[in-house]
This record gives sequence, structure tokens and C-alpha cells, in this order.
Amino acid sequence: MNGDLRVVIVGSGRIGLQTARLLNERGHDVLIVERSPDRALATLDEYVATVIEGDATRPSILRQVGLDRADVVAAMTDTTATNLSVAMLTERHAPSTRTVIRAPPGETDEYADYADAVVCPEGAGAAAVTNTVVGSGVRTVEDLPGDLRLLELEVATQAPVAGKPLSRVSLPHGSLVVSGAAGHHVAESDTELVAGHTYLVAVESGVADEVTRLFRG
Amino acid sequence: MSGTPGGDSSREPQASLGLLDATMVGIGAMIGAGIFVLTGLAADIAGSAAILVFALNGGVTAFTAFSYAELASAIPKNGGGYAFVHEAFPAPISFVMGWTRWFTYMAAGALYALGFASNFIEFVHIYVPALPAGPVVAGGPNWTVVYALAVVAVLVALNAVSTEAAGGAETIITLVKIAILLVFVGFGLFAASLAEFRPLFPPGGSANVGVVDSLLAEPGGAFTLLPAMGLTFIAFQGYDLVATVTEEVENPRRNIPRAVFISLAATVVIYLLVVFVAIGTLGSGELAAAGETAITEAAAGFMPQLPLLGTGAALVAFGAVFSTVSALNAVVIGSSRVAFAMGRERQLPARLGRIHHRFGTPFAAVLASAVVMFVAVVVVPIQVVGNLASLFSLLGFVVVNLSVIKLRRDRPAMTRPFEVPYYPVTPVLGIVLNLLLGLFIGGRTWLLALGWLALGAGVYLLLSRRETTQAAPESDPEDD
Repeated sequence: MNGDLRVVIVGSGRIGLQTARLLNERGHDVLIVERSPDRALATLDEYVATVIEGDATRPSILRQVGLDRADVVAAMTDTTATNLSVAMLTERHAPSTRTVIRAPPGETDEYADYADAVVCPEGAGAAAVTNTVVGSGVRTVEDLPGDLRLLELEVATQAPVAGKPLSRVSLPHGSLVVSGAAGHHVAESDTELVAGHTYLVAVESGVADEVTRLFRG
Repeated sequence: MSGTPGGDSSREPQASLGLLDATMVGIGAMIGAGIFVLTGLAADIAGSAAILVFALNGGVTAFTAFSYAELASAIPKNGGGYAFVHEAFPAPISFVMGWTRWFTYMAAGALYALGFASNFIEFVHIYVPALPAGPVVAGGPNWTVVYALAVVAVLVALNAVSTEAAGGAETIITLVKIAILLVFVGFGLFAASLAEFRPLFPPGGSANVGVVDSLLAEPGGAFTLLPAMGLTFIAFQGYDLVATVTEEVENPRRNIPRAVFISLAATVVIYLLVVFVAIGTLGSGELAAAGETAITEAAAGFMPQLPLLGTGAALVAFGAVFSTVSALNAVVIGSSRVAFAMGRERQLPARLGRIHHRFGTPFAAVLASAVVMFVAVVVVPIQVVGNLASLFSLLGFVVVNLSVIKLRRDRPAMTRPFEVPYYPVTPVLGIVLNLLLGLFIGGRTWLLALGWLALGAGVYLLLSRRETTQAAPESDPEDD
């Protein structure tokens, strides 16, 4: 998807909040629905999202996020029943809005029919832990310790950098194009950024949104 | 947060700004160009009551300040007014807000550029009397316009190729501006005479006639306050920029509303002191005649000789030049930021919402803003430019107050660390007072404003039609 997204995240526990941080870092609009009043205030203090306080499975609360304007609703609570209800309410009130729900390990297939995507954060986290334990320098693309992010970015057709060689593009400090098109070669100054191709780019979190915008338009 | 595994707050931008810095952002955005450029124009309409004009405007603005504080504390977005309204209203209304905000900044830019040019001539003439002024050719444009265009061009060029011109020593610049004004006030208080304030209101038959004014039999007297308030309202535009640094402020939940109110209060106090001295020393008649160089003219009357500078008036003239340039820089950034945000929301052509592949700046948005500023500088007289900027600023504030009401109704459960006191009286009063001032702005300004809105309607319809015709065949090929 091009441009900035409007994303509703249900639940601002560890997963929901971290997701909100990453989305905000890349310049997307985030709204959070959080049931606990204390956590709602703490989440607002992070300054990554507007917060609606309440139970998202109640239509009167979920309506307040403006479902029809949202591009994606991500239900990230640790209660599968809640996530499932949110996905189904969203499907009913705003059929064109994408739904992403969180499910426990081993159950993702089971709910595949009830949301556009089912994710298992514990699985991804465990993969990262495994990489670290093995310690051979292999990292999952999504999870790097510290400030650096390794992003796989596909150049959009109308993006500012589309069709330009790296030598003519000045990326912000703190970013580096690692791989050339298709990921077979390390990028060089004459590597062309072809629309539709995917590149591996290392970025510091502070410039993640600028780099994303250069590549995604 | 340090105990939570997911919350490595170390990579957040350092919360380095205290209450003072946040307050300085607000003061810096308001103080400066407005007071230098508009004091004379206000005296032209309201006579010695110009001092009441600034005091009452401060009061009117305070109502909207509450609304800004509530929205800024609940909606963590850097876009200021446009971002808040986009959150509260469907697309057409947020478009109107963005479209008018954009124009507010550009009209303010034209105002500051013209104010810069007049004061620049004053300042340079103190040392180099040979600097050309007056008409370039007989009957042609004035040199003022040439200098105004030049300064816009320089600042636009800087901001188009570098984001560095934006940030930097904002607090120091603000302190310099305040210091120069306080020097002016310090010397002037001894020279000022209360006799200049009698009569407070000018006699009837004032030249400036607003929409409502023209319906009244005898314009003049206390009725001159309202059109003068409408004209100078733009001088109170800027405390909303406090919201743009929210992420870097310590304890924003408490400090952002405070910074909004302290910066507004400090600004009102400084304005009142400056206007008191200006009227008390030069008298409203001569201030009016001096127009956008009124403060510099007043300073020439009483400032003592200073070492190195020669006449102390040079310091104040320098303050005027310095303030107008820094304010112009701020509105060049502000206007391009609004155009950029609208481009990203697809409310303006998407091209405006892209950053340049080489410079990393919102290049197209800066250039588009520059074109409108150029036209405004060349075509529109300074008083109309001031009126336009103020009118759109007033209308923008109306929509901000409406956003508070709309969000309270639509999203009662939204977390609001700061709430407007005496809701709904406060925002409703804000709306009524802002509209009232708007009605006293001249009919010609309304025509220009309506013209700009009509142009906006055209752009909006064209864009939304193109969106719908494109959306069908495209239908997200990357979705699967």
C-alpha cells in the first residue's frame, strides 16, 4: 500500500504499543483502543497515537475510532476472543478495512478465515531469540536489537527515487541500501532503484519514515 | 518505562525541552513581525485605542488557546491545526482547514516580506542613504516590492534545498527579539506621555469600512476597535506551534498546555508595553502615517545615542528587520509543511506530499507556497494582505473550536489529559468572538477569501474525481 496508513490498534500492551511505535516512526497515523484507564494515560504519554479508552468489543467504543476511515484494524490484545470479536465487528461495519489479529502459537491457521491476516508475535519473538542463541550473525529482517532497523523496501512506481541510480539519490544520514534488486548483490553507486523491485535497507529509527517515503512515495 | 522489555525509551527523541523552551517556541512564533508591521496599521484605524485592540485580541485568542491545549494534549501529531481537524472531521472540512491554513501562512509571509522591505529601507538609510527607495520607474512598482520579493526568494531557496535552515537556535533568536523590544520599552517608558491617549477613540468617518461597519450610520468611535482587531489578529497566530515540539518536551501532558498559556500571556504583556510606548511617544496620528515602520519611527524619536551603532533607533530598526526575516522563515516552513501534509493525505496533488530525492525537503510544497507568496506580494496591498491573513486565521480558529466540540461528541472515550474548562461555553464563545471579528474585516478581503475558497473547491473536486476514476482499475495490485 502506498502513502501513509491510518491504523487502529486494539490493546496497548507490549505488542500493541511496540507496533504503534514502529508504525508512528514510519509516519503512519495510529489510533489505540485501550481498556485500562491507567495504561491509556501511559500510552498517550508515549506520543505515538491518539488513545480511546474502553472495551473495543463494544460497538459504541469501536465506532469512535472511525472504522470507515481506517485502512487497517490490528487487534493485538492477549485475549483471542477479544481480537476475534474486533475483527468480526470491523468486517461487519467496514468491510473494506483490512483486519489483522493476534493469535497464540499454533492457532494461527485456525482463525485464518476470520481476518485478513493472523500473526503470532510470540512466534516471531522466539525466532529472534533463536537467532541470538545460535549466534551465527543471522538476524531476522524485522527484529534487530538496538536502534537499527533492517527493512525490506519495494520501490513504488511513483516514488521519488524510482528509476534513479543510487549515485543520484541522497539518502538521509543513518541509512544504507544494502542489497541490489532481487537481493543477489550488494548495492553499488550505479545500482538502479527499479520500481517494483525490493531492496534491503538498513536505517536508524530516526530516519525510517523519511527513507520509507523516498521509496514508497 | 525502563522496566518494560518492549519500551526502550532510549531511542525516542530525547525529551530535552523544558517548559521554558516550549514557551519560547510559542513566543518566538508570535512575537516579532506582527507587532512591528501591524502597530501603525492598527493606529490608522483605531487611533490611540490601538492598545485596547491588542489587549482584546489577546482575550479573544485565549478562548481558542484552551481548545488548542485540549487537542494538542490528546492528539500527538505535529501538523498543528490541520492535523487536529483531520482527526475530527471528514475530508471536505479538513481540506478547507488545510487550504485556509496554507493561505494564512502565505498571506502572513507576504505581510512579513513587505514589512521587512520597508524596515530594511529604514535601517539601511541610517547608514547608507543612497539605497534606492520609492518607485523603481515613475508610475511603476516600488522598490519595497523588489526587496520583498528578494527576501522571499532567498528564504524559499534556503528551505527548498536544506532542512537545516528550519531548526537551530530558535530560543536564542526569540530572546534577541524580546531583548530588542524590551530595550525599546525601557527607554520609551520615560519618554511616553499619557496625553497622547486622549482622545482614546478616533472621530467618526474612518476610512476602513468592514462588512458590518458599512451598515452602521456613523463608523468611528468604539466601533473602530473591531475592524482594527480583525486586521491585527494575525499577530496572535503562532502559539499553536508549541504543539509541533510535543515529542521533545518533558512531561508534555502538563507542560504543553502550560506553554500555550504562558507564551500567550507573555506575548500579550510585551505587545501592550510596546504599543503603549509607541503611542505614548509618537502619537497615533504619526504612527498611522508611518504604517509598517511605525515602531522604528517611534524609536527614532527617543532612543539615545549608543556606542558603535550611532543612533539607538538603528537597534530597533535592526530588530524589525531581524524579526520579519525570522517570522518569514517560520511561515515559509509552516506553509510548506501544511501543503506537504495535505499532499500526503491526497488532499492536494500527491506530488506536494513527496520529499525531494536529493535535498530531502518537501521541495514541491515549498515552491508551490513560494509562487502564491510572490503573487500576493506583487498584487495585493499590505493592508489587504494583513486582513486576509487575519481573516483566514480567524476562520481556522473557528474550525479548531468546532473540532473540540465534534470530538467530544464523536469520541467521548478519547483520553484527554487537559480538558477545556467550562465546556461547552468556552469553545462556543471562541467561535462566536472569532466570527464576530471576521465580520468586521472589509468586504474586499471577503471577496478575495471567497475567491481562494472557490479555487480550493475546484482543486478538491478535480482531485477527488481523479482519485475515484483511478481507484477502480488500480484496486491495490500489491495487496495479495
